[in-house]
Amino acid sequence: MKGLITFSEVPSTSVVRWQKINDFLQSVDLDVSEDVELFIVAKQDDHIVACAGLSGRVLKNIAIDETIRGKGIALRLMSELLKVAYREKRSDLFLFTKPIYQEMFEDCGFKYIEQSHHEVVLMENSNNIEHHKEALRAHKKEGKHIGSIVINANPFTLGHRHLVEQACLNSDWVHLFVVKEDASFFSFKDRYHLIQEGLKHIANLTIYEGSDYIISKATFPTYFIKDKCHIDSLYTELDLNIFRNHLAPQLGITHRFVGEEPICVVTNEYNQQMKKILSTPSNYPSIEVIEIPRIEYQGEPISASRVRRLMKESDLEEISHLVPSPTYHIIEKMLSNIIEEK
Amino acid sequence: MNTIIEPAHAGTLESSDAFVRVIPIEEEGIVIELESSVCEIYGDAIHALVLETAQAMKMNKIRLIVQDKGALDYVIKARVQTAILRACGKTEPDWSTL
Repeated sequence: MKGLITFSEVPSTSVVRWQKINDFLQSVDLDVSEDVELFIVAKQDDHIVACAGLSGRVLKNIAIDETIRGKGIALRLMSELLKVAYREKRSDLFLFTKPIYQEMFEDCGFKYIEQSHHEVVLMENSNNIEHHKEALRAHKKEGKHIGSIVINANPFTLGHRHLVEQACLNSDWVHLFVVKEDASFFSFKDRYHLIQEGLKHIANLTIYEGSDYIISKATFPTYFIKDKCHIDSLYTELDLNIFRNHLAPQLGITHRFVGEEPICVVTNEYNQQMKKILSTPSNYPSIEVIEIPRIEYQGEPISASRVRRLMKESDLEEISHLVPSPTYHIIEKMLSNIIEEK
Repeated sequence: MNTIIEPAHAGTLESSDAFVRVIPIEEEGIVIELESSVCEIYGDAIHALVLETAQAMKMNKIRLIVQDKGALDYVIKARVQTAILRACGKTEPDWSTL
């Protein structure tokens, strides 16, 4: 006779119990994701039989021992995990799973958003993407060439400005999305403000705050660890599928403009995949990717990473040749604050 | 009319229960999203029950997401009431309205 199944919460500070979860996940061919903050663990006779992790607003590492599957355990496990997530004030949640488990998560209130490689399915519990799409539709502009750009602009440089200017010159209208995730050196608020200030002179342009559905931690976690030059084609495809199948159709987007990427491996890989994925025949209109060559200063391409490097060296003189004046002023202020602190 | 101060939930996803979430929205009215394992037979009745319960508590500008797993009427009603009370930051209902 097997004992009762009990549930408990395990924070990442609990090293010994964390190790046991790791062992359990290994037994079902999974690894503990580095960024999981806490686990819900189901135990029977002192053995772990199921677990589910929470990382920000993403549910991860959900696994159930085969011997007890199909006994309502999944729904109990998810109830416990959702309780914890809502307690932490995270109500709009995402999860990644294999296609065969999609139905099970639908029973828990999650809806399919998009898939990648036919291996991974992204789901959410809020249906926010439909609300988001409706909001986008209100901004649709007529025209034959409708361009789009997605930028992080960390910070906004003359290179970004050139990219947007070229896109607007070659399009009837351009929709510009600013990555919203606050995971960069410059805050979203500053990045967005500098973009607005630096592009005031352009008339055929709409600037949007990004969302969970454009390069966010929820849908594209590996983008934010690119310093390691780690690229995951699975997430790249997911991000681009969402763009093509969900967002672009609302605005009638025909082109996507990107800066040529001579230095960063991740961004270059992303550009190359983008060309392929956005033009593969499918039920949704294909989108042509146009790479705009980078502008240079003293033989070296202008990029945000170059500006950040020069900030470390406090080289304001060179920075002044790379960024528009609103960006320059904010950097000047940041640097003088640092000196005062010293 | 009452409006809520934060998102809240009540219930579980287990069989014979219902999981209810309540979320504040900008628009006027009560938006109900219902998913039920017995939707074809009882969908309309459950929808009406949820709406009636929220209206009896004089709620406005809320979205109710209900995952029903074949719960009985009074279970659904209790879960909806509890979720709304939590969302309003209250611990006791206004008994006279129930």
